[in-house]
Amino acid sequence: MVDVENWQLNRTMAYPYAEARPRRQAAAVFDTNKCIGCQTCTMACKTCWTSGQGQEYELWNNVETKPWGSYPLAWDARELELLGPQHWEGDTYTGQTIFEAAPSGERNVGFMPQGLDYAYPNRGEDEVNVTLSVKRYHLRLPHDMWFFYLPRICNHCTYPACLQGCPRQSIYKRPEDGIVLVDQERCRGYRVCLEACPYKKIFYNHTTRVSEKCVMCFPAVEQGIQPRCMRNCIGKIRSFGFVGTPDSARVDNPIDFLVHVRKVALPLYPQFGLEPNVYYIPPIHVADDGFLTMLFGPGARAAIDAYQAAMVGDDPELLAALLLAVSTDRIIHRFEVVGDTVTAWAEDGEEVVRMPIVVPTVERTAFDPDLNVYRYNIT
Amino acid sequence: MTTTSGVSRRRLITGTAAATGAAALAGCAPDYRDDLGPGDIIAVRVGRVPVDDPDSGTWGGAPEKTVELAPQQIALPHRETPVVPAIRVRALHDGRVIGFRMEWDDPDVDDMTVRVDDFRDACAVLLAPGAGDETVRTMGTALTAATLLHWKADWQRDLDHGRAGLATAYPNRSVDVYPPLIDEPPGEVAMADYEDAGAGEWLPGTHVDNPMSLATRATPVEKIVANGFSTSTTTPTQDATGRGVRHGDGWRVVIAKPLTARDDGETDLRNGSDATCAFAIWSGADGDAGGRKSPSATVYRLVMDT
Repeated sequence: MVDVENWQLNRTMAYPYAEARPRRQAAAVFDTNKCIGCQTCTMACKTCWTSGQGQEYELWNNVETKPWGSYPLAWDARELELLGPQHWEGDTYTGQTIFEAAPSGERNVGFMPQGLDYAYPNRGEDEVNVTLSVKRYHLRLPHDMWFFYLPRICNHCTYPACLQGCPRQSIYKRPEDGIVLVDQERCRGYRVCLEACPYKKIFYNHTTRVSEKCVMCFPAVEQGIQPRCMRNCIGKIRSFGFVGTPDSARVDNPIDFLVHVRKVALPLYPQFGLEPNVYYIPPIHVADDGFLTMLFGPGARAAIDAYQAAMVGDDPELLAALLLAVSTDRIIHRFEVVGDTVTAWAEDGEEVVRMPIVVPTVERTAFDPDLNVYRYNIT
Repeated sequence: MTTTSGVSRRRLITGTAAATGAAALAGCAPDYRDDLGPGDIIAVRVGRVPVDDPDSGTWGGAPEKTVELAPQQIALPHRETPVVPAIRVRALHDGRVIGFRMEWDDPDVDDMTVRVDDFRDACAVLLAPGAGDETVRTMGTALTAATLLHWKADWQRDLDHGRAGLATAYPNRSVDVYPPLIDEPPGEVAMADYEDAGAGEWLPGTHVDNPMSLATRATPVEKIVANGFSTSTTTPTQDATGRGVRHGDGWRVVIAKPLTARDDGETDLRNGSDATCAFAIWSGADGDAGGRKSPSATVYRLVMDT
C-alpha cells in the first residue's frame, strides 16, 4: 500500500497503487432536486448496452429512492456496516476507508452480493423516510417526511476498488479520460471486483460468465458527445464534462465550477475512499443533516445553502452553470456569463449553447374580458 | 509389450507387486529409480494414457502420492486455510501424452457459473522446467514460465450436458424480448443466434473469444502459461484434455497434455528430463476463484518413467 492524495477526504490515504491521475477525468453532476425518477436514463442505457442475453439484471444506470431504495439489495447499508464508524473533523475524514479497513488477507472491506440481491430494483420506490401519520401536516422546507431519487452509474473513481481488487489486472483506467473499463478478453469472471466495488456497479453476465460495467459511453465521449444517460435525461438533472482537482480547477469549466468553486456538487459516500467522479447536489427538502452527511460528506448543508441562493437569484453564475445541464449533446468545456446570457463552448471552440439565464415572462391579467373567463395561468 | 491394463513391461519387471493385477497395485507401487524420494512424483509409462477415463484401471499402475495442500497467503485475496488437507495424485505417460489423476473430497457439486453467486469446483496441474524448482510454485517466475492445466467443473458440465445457461439456472424466467433478436421468441434465443444476426457485440465476452464465454467448447481443461501472479494467459493452442467425474463424495479428475510443447512458454516433456509439478484445487461452495485456492504445500520433481 502507498499513500495517495484524496482531496475529497482532505488527506492522504492508503491504496495499493501509486497515484496516477488521468490527463483529464470524465465526471458528471447530478442534481437530485430535479430528478423525477422517470428512469429514462435507465432505459437509455439499458437499450444501448445491456439488452443482451445474460444482462437482464445489469443496470449500469439505475435510479433508487432514498432512504429505502437500493440496488442491489442494501448495497450501501451493508457496506457502511462493514466499514464501521465513519468520522469527519471539519472537512477532514478521520475514519478509515475501505482500503485502510481491509481485513487480513483481503484488499478491502466488501461483500459479495447474492443472486436474489438483484431481484428487487424497485425496492423502496417512492417510500418516505418515516411512517405516514394521519395527523394534519403542514408542508415546510425542509420536510419532516421526505424521500428523494438517487440516480446512480459507475463513478469512474480516481481510486477504483474494482481495479485494485482484480487479481488479473483485467480492469484499467484510461489515461486519456479516466474512464474505467473491464477488458472483456482478459476477465475470467472471478468476481472479486463485484465484492470490492462498494457501489456495486460491476455486474456479472450470466451468459458470458465474465464481469461488465458502465463504459461511460466512451465511443461518444471520444467524439465530444455526452453519454446516453446524460443526453436523454428529461429532467435535465445531469451535467457531463471533465473535473480537475481543487488545485487545477478552472472557474470557466462548468463541472469544476459546480464541484470546486461553488461546492454545490458532492461525491457519494466519499468516506469509502475511492474519490468517485459522479457528484450530487444534495436534496434541499431533507431535514436529516446526519443522513445527508453520511451520503455526501460534511459539505452537504453548505451545498444546499449555495444552491438555494442561486435559485432565488443571488448567484447568477451558479444558476447559469446549472442551466447548462442537458442543454446540448456536446460536451461543454467552457462557459461564460455576460449580462443575463450564458454561453458555452465545446472543446474545439465551437459555441454550442447560448441562452438567457432567466426566461422572460409576461404576466397577464387574471380576467380575460374578451373571452369573459378567468385564466388559470397568468404567466 | 503391454499388459491389458496398459502398464509397461519395465513396470512389471521391477514392480514389487507385479502379477497381482492393476487394482492391487494401487498404493503399492514399486520403486522405479533408486533416487526417488518423498518430493518426487513419477509418471509411469503405459501403452496409452486414459485421458478421458478417470476410473480406468490403468491409473492403478501409478503410485498414489498424497499431496498436502497449503493456504494461499501470498497474493491478495488470500485463502487462509486449504479446503481439504490433501489430495491424491497419480501420473502416467505414454510417450506422447502425460496425464495426472487428481482426487479429493468435496461433498458439494459446484459445476455451474451462471448465477452471480455460482463459483466452480476446479483443479489444476502446474508444470515447469527444473527438477522440483520451488521458485516456480507461484505460477512461474518472470524468467521461468509455468504451464497451468486447469480443469473446470462447469466446463465439464457444459460438455456432458450442454452449456448451462439461463434456462438451467432460472427455469421460470420471463423475458419480454431481446432487442437485437426481436423476431425470435426470447425463450428460444441461443448464443449462436447473436453472431448469426450480426449482433455479436451483445455478448461481449463471446464476441472477443474470451475462453470463459465460448458458446461451445471441446475440452474441460484450459491450457495456460504464466510468469507469476496476475499473468496467466490462455495459450493459442488448446490441446490439453481430461475429464472429471464424481467419485463418492468428491471429484476424480484426469488432466492431460501432449509431451510436446506447442506454445511459447509451455513446458516441453519430450526428452524425458525431470521437470517440476505442483497442484491446486478450488472449492466453489467456499467461493474460491483465482487466487482463492488451495495450492500444494510444495512443488514436486516430476520423474518421467522410461
